[in-house]
Amino acid sequence: MGEGTSLFEDAPEIDLSRGRLDLALVRLRMAWRTLRDGWAVFVESRIGVLSLAIIAIFALMAFSHPILMATVWTPDVYDPVTGYAFDRFEHPSPPDWRHPLGTDSLGRDILSQLLFSTKSEFILGITAALVTVGIATTVGAVAAYYGGLVDSLLMRLADLIIALPGISLLIVLSALFNLNLFYLALIIGVLGGFGGTAIILKSQALSIRVKPYIEAARAAGGGHFHVIFVHIIPNLLPLSLLYMMFTVTGAIFAEAVLSFLGLLDIRMSWGIMIHTANTGGYLLAGANYWWLIVPAGASITLLCSAFYLVGRALDEVVNPRLRRHDR
Amino acid sequence: MTNYLLRRSGQMVLTLFLIVTLAFFLVQAQPGDYAAFYSLNPDIPAEAREQIKASFGLDKPLWQQYLIHMKNTLTGNFGVSFGHYPRPVIEVLAERLPRTIVLFLSATAVSFYLGFFLGKAIAWRRGGVLEYAATISGATLFTAFTPAFALMMIWIFAFKLGWLPVGKFLDPLIWRGAEVTANHVFSYMLATAAAFVVFAFLTLLVARKSGRFATGRLPFLIIAAGAVAIPVAWAFTGIGYLALDILRHMILPIATLTLISFAGTMLLTRNSMLETMREDYVMAARAKGLPEKVVRDRHAARNALLPVITSLVYSLIFAIDGSVIIEGVFSWPGTGMTLLQAVRSEDLPLVMGAMVFIGLFSLLAHVIVDVLYVYLDPRIRYQ
Amino acid sequence: MTMTTADNQPLLKVVDLSLSYLTRQGPVPAVQSVSFELGRGQSLGLVGESGCGKTSVANCLMRLLPDNGRLTSGQVLLEGQDLLPMSEEEIRRFRWRRMAMVFQAAMNALDPVYRVGQQVVEAIEAHGIEETTAQARQRVARLFRMVGLDPQLMDRYPHEFSGGMRQRAVIAMALACDPAVIISDEPTTALDVIVQDRILRELKGVQRELSMGMIYITHDIGAVAEVTDRVGVMYAGRLVELGDTVDVLHAPMHPYTAALMSSFPSISGEKKALGTLPGEPPNLVNLPTGCPFHPRCAHATEECRREFPPQAQRGSQWAACWHPLNGAQESEQS
Repeated sequence: MGEGTSLFEDAPEIDLSRGRLDLALVRLRMAWRTLRDGWAVFVESRIGVLSLAIIAIFALMAFSHPILMATVWTPDVYDPVTGYAFDRFEHPSPPDWRHPLGTDSLGRDILSQLLFSTKSEFILGITAALVTVGIATTVGAVAAYYGGLVDSLLMRLADLIIALPGISLLIVLSALFNLNLFYLALIIGVLGGFGGTAIILKSQALSIRVKPYIEAARAAGGGHFHVIFVHIIPNLLPLSLLYMMFTVTGAIFAEAVLSFLGLLDIRMSWGIMIHTANTGGYLLAGANYWWLIVPAGASITLLCSAFYLVGRALDEVVNPRLRRHDR
Repeated sequence: MTNYLLRRSGQMVLTLFLIVTLAFFLVQAQPGDYAAFYSLNPDIPAEAREQIKASFGLDKPLWQQYLIHMKNTLTGNFGVSFGHYPRPVIEVLAERLPRTIVLFLSATAVSFYLGFFLGKAIAWRRGGVLEYAATISGATLFTAFTPAFALMMIWIFAFKLGWLPVGKFLDPLIWRGAEVTANHVFSYMLATAAAFVVFAFLTLLVARKSGRFATGRLPFLIIAAGAVAIPVAWAFTGIGYLALDILRHMILPIATLTLISFAGTMLLTRNSMLETMREDYVMAARAKGLPEKVVRDRHAARNALLPVITSLVYSLIFAIDGSVIIEGVFSWPGTGMTLLQAVRSEDLPLVMGAMVFIGLFSLLAHVIVDVLYVYLDPRIRYQ
Repeated sequence: MTMTTADNQPLLKVVDLSLSYLTRQGPVPAVQSVSFELGRGQSLGLVGESGCGKTSVANCLMRLLPDNGRLTSGQVLLEGQDLLPMSEEEIRRFRWRRMAMVFQAAMNALDPVYRVGQQVVEAIEAHGIEETTAQARQRVARLFRMVGLDPQLMDRYPHEFSGGMRQRAVIAMALACDPAVIISDEPTTALDVIVQDRILRELKGVQRELSMGMIYITHDIGAVAEVTDRVGVMYAGRLVELGDTVDVLHAPMHPYTAALMSSFPSISGEKKALGTLPGEPPNLVNLPTGCPFHPRCAHATEECRREFPPQAQRGSQWAACWHPLNGAQESEQS
């Protein structure tokens, strides 16, 4: 694959007079081609494919929880927050066939907690990523399109935000407000959207802005709003998909840290599981109570790394210069 | 160059202003009344309340409160800590800041060097086992759940192997009967470290200026001699064993922070190297018949360093967050742990003070990175 | 490192050189059986459209190949010594010492973070040409004067140089170790015409003065006429015509050479219509059978499609063509 096929160089070569439907069709066809070519490069990265598989497994885990609860697991025993394993005399109890990952110090089933939390992590990560992408594409496109004062203001704001240590800021915020999952996703999304992601998407938007079809759209009488939302933003989306991955990593990580420190208003999550083990004093008991910390700790690390590595593999798709010599 | 630095400093001042403003409005926006915090807190004696109220202008309109807040922040008056009553916030923070700085500086210095070195190596030999191993372990460490990783380090090195202490800043058993305070010893340690860095830097500078001398081993021998002389000198002070205790407590947190933060630099260096390796001047360097190592280090890596330095800001911010978490896990009494304790005990003045301190800290990181960049890139230096 | 060469031996002799790039679509033959000779003090031009393998030939000579480049056959004999089987360390000592290069994009051939003089000194010291750094610097000062640069510019950074100055600096750098052969890969493309012309003349002058062999790679027929004694025309990785510059330019034998000539304004000033070459150079992954030029050639016949043509000779000039122009002695040689 040569330089000419760089994925974002393709401009939709269309006759504007042919109408919306054709535009949509051309776009679909292009998107399909981009996806297909991109996928071909992506699958060359073994790490990327492996990470994608890990994400898929976690997604299956998230879906399995409600199914298990509705079929084999009775809520009074297996509820991740209020359940209690009556069949055990001592808690935390080690894994066996009824509780494959054992129970925590409050007698709750660890596997159920793990699966339940997976769902919240996905919801958190994806919400934060969607907010980030929504804001960042708009900010990037607007800054690139208008330039001048608007651009400077938005970019200075972004500089300010990336200069802030995010976790520390969230810790401060948790002292002032009651943070739940939704607010957390929102805050992380907004910080990401106005921060680093906006800067990167803006530089991409700048290169789109100078493409002939933007000029053509302007000449054909398209308003600012029309050009930004119909022509610039759709072309930014593939790149923003890449940065979604990094936002997901950040969001899951931040949630876990704050939960671990006991600063969030959340019922159950991987971070809370470790927090519970920690406050119970089981953490340094080491291998004797491994099931209290290893499943949750490993899940956080695995899912964060998986999203991060998928992001990096996508980076090689998007950025041909990182690829190995044409091989 | 002056223009560049002036512009950057202007931006810094603006950023600082915005951080302080943000701090004010966050406090205003939180549910509950800041004034009530002070006036209703039973820990604070009644006679002190009036004075505090007056110094913060808590009975004045909002805009005046804001101006007073500005003035107070700039003069370092963050009020009195609830948790450490009656010590002022600034005093609590000033005592703990050096500990954070040491943790942070040593960890970032080591992790930067390690990350740059490994990133350079894996980019130069693409597709090797090393690349896979380094990318995977790097990304895992980078995204590893920091608290769990820190606990694992404690478990392995302090519990299982028993090599290092579990956490905290010092061992009270050793310090019983000591006539000096920990801060006293620590400040001497800091002074020694600073003096050594200056000494090493000057030696290298002299070596570079005097031509031939640079190629020999002599400058490194001189620096090594200095490094040996320091512990010897400390042994004669009588407080050497106390310093050693602090040092032993420092190792694990620094190692942990290093491990979680080197990967960022490594992966970045790799990408940056891959781009510079395609540059014509790298090809030219090879064509000139320079040895591979010279081509790699003096040309490819030297240029790959520039974007890495630009992004060093993000690595530093990452490390600041990391040090907050690590201080929490290791009970290392620095600014980060102060922040966590203050948040848990709802010690608002201390929270805000710590936030401004951490903000200042990250701004300082920005300034350092800027100066470094100007020093490293002649295109900006000579403008 | 001085080498004694028999007088009858050419300075540089390239025999049957072939290079492939391994790519996703399979091996791409970038250079196929290229052979030529270069005498002392002589200059040879290599011309052709972009992508015809000129730069690949240069990279083979210096053995500066990308990871996926594979030399499949051939010999590169410099002063009788074959460069291709040498170890990395041997070739490293050889580079720049006996054969140096003036790079295609001289703008980027200087490392932006070091002073220009330092970058020349570096090459001198890597080969132990001078005893001390001070002597090396004196040598750089001499080289700078030779290429028309003020020696005081040594301690400036590349970004402080204009395009022409950088080009001169790169030439000075190439001369640093008194090489026997100098390869110039489109050295003046990024410059404006007047500077181009001046630098070209100086390059030629220096080459004569030091009686080096020079390989001059370009797509600019005008420059070839000005600088080179002999010229080779490349098409799709093959050398298709080789001869004295005057002969090749005045009476090209290969239809491709003729077409290439007609797409440039005439150098002798006589007015004629600018011909353009139809079509594009072939994709190297998927070369046409027989003569690679036949799809674009007006004279193509059945045998052109079937088999690669033998060399048609005329004096010291030859062309790989079944139907050579301007009358060849139909002898077959290879």
